[in-house]
Amino acid sequence: MKRHQALNVNGEEYDIEIEPNRLLLHALRDDIGLTGTKEGCSIGVCGACSVIVGGRLVSSCLTLAVACQGKEITTIEGLAKDGKLHPLQQAFLEYGGFQCGICTPGQIIAAKALLDSNPHPTEEEIKEWMSGNLCRCTGYYKIFESIMAVVQNKVRAEDLTARERREARIQSLGVYKSSS
Amino acid sequence: MVTFDYLEPKSLEEACALLNEHGDDARLIAGGTALIIMMRQRLLNPRVVISLTSIPNFDYITFDAKDGLRLGAGARHRDIELAKPVHEHYPLLHETFRKVAQPRIRNMGTIGGNLVQGDPLTDPGASLIALDAEVTLKNAGGQRVIPVEKFFVDYYQTDLQPGEILTEIHVPPSPPGLAWAHIKFLPRSLEDFATVGVALTMRLGGDRCEDIRLAFNSVAPIIMRAKRAEEVLRGQKIDDDRVGKMAEVASTEVDPMDDNRGSAEYKRELVRVLVRRAVNQALDRASAAKPSGRQAPAPA
Ligand code: FES
Ligand code: FES
Repeated sequence: MKRHQALNVNGEEYDIEIEPNRLLLHALRDDIGLTGTKEGCSIGVCGACSVIVGGRLVSSCLTLAVACQGKEITTIEGLAKDGKLHPLQQAFLEYGGFQCGICTPGQIIAAKALLDSNPHPTEEEIKEWMSGNLCRCTGYYKIFESIMAVVQNKVRAEDLTARERREARIQSLGVYKSSS
Repeated sequence: MVTFDYLEPKSLEEACALLNEHGDDARLIAGGTALIIMMRQRLLNPRVVISLTSIPNFDYITFDAKDGLRLGAGARHRDIELAKPVHEHYPLLHETFRKVAQPRIRNMGTIGGNLVQGDPLTDPGASLIALDAEVTLKNAGGQRVIPVEKFFVDYYQTDLQPGEILTEIHVPPSPPGLAWAHIKFLPRSLEDFATVGVALTMRLGGDRCEDIRLAFNSVAPIIMRAKRAEEVLRGQKIDDDRVGKMAEVASTEVDPMDDNRGSAEYKRELVRVLVRRAVNQALDRASAAKPSGRQAPAPA
């Protein structure tokens, strides 16, 4: 039987009508329309659906929406503030932390959950924590570098233009200089 | 996914009452990591899902030097892993929980949920058996306490009776200097279940093994204690021969099956190797803690 359910997502209250078997993942994507959170494996393994609920990183594919009553939910859409990217988002751009992008919202949310509780993790801690977020494109190194850049405060000013960002990223790849 | 009604009792008494009322139609949920997958795959089809997450103080982790460690069934793997008393007094548990899946799943799954699922592939049970832990099972009428070792009955089957809720895990205090090892042998990467999991504790007296617990996951229909193997070493001097003999007995005592993590034969061979390795690790650790300690036998 459908019921009214209030969900607090990224500081906004959403009132939706859902069945008790509605997964948080589908409530976010299909009922609320926040499609940044992705569905990969649907069994808690890949991390594409990672969100933060009540301060904890969880798989939204294994979380019932009805169980999130009264809890703060953070999705990838909640990270940029006042038109400025979150440092992690900025870092993933500058350091080439993604390719196809399907895993990226989950990677960034997972990294945010880590830095929220531990702003200066060691390399080992980052690797251990991020082990639950699979990526079939990057080979992980660029993801790791992106997170390290935030930890070491190396992310550039957040108000670069798209072109400057591209330049910065190409430089960070260290392969060739951009021409025009 | 299957459809169901969702109930969120505010006390254990209320949860027991609901469980009695709905009987076989009901399933309990805590972290959800196991139940949701099974419902999505339609392996389970409950009409009512009763959540234990709103029961106050169901996730406590307390330690007392005389009484030992008490874990509320709702304690999450990650919280147990990080809890200071666990880290300080039960390094075997710390090490074991650190290896369960990955941090996100440890953030969700509870120890009670893990045990009642009776999944022989999961890690915590073997280490709890090696530490002589027991579980409290409550129903509307009362409660009983049984060793974790007796809790696992068959493949995905535990001693939990209809109307019962697992409420607490109790781990007695460890004797000082308890030697221990935990090995999770993975087929490929972290997200896999163990091909073989070994948990070992030994009470040492000089170069003798005063007492021993050896438990396995992933090599039998249940998470099991290898009592026949233990007998080979209990009360004996620890040397290569005996340890080899124990490993041999353990490899016949387990009852693995062929699956995508390897053939039964391969897993028996692994048991033989890992038992020796576990003993060596435990002895190494014990002698590192005590610089004057004995030399470990040659590695397997
Ligand atoms: S979709 Fe949830 S972890 Fe893969
Ligand atoms: S960027 Fe393609 S899967 Fe990670």
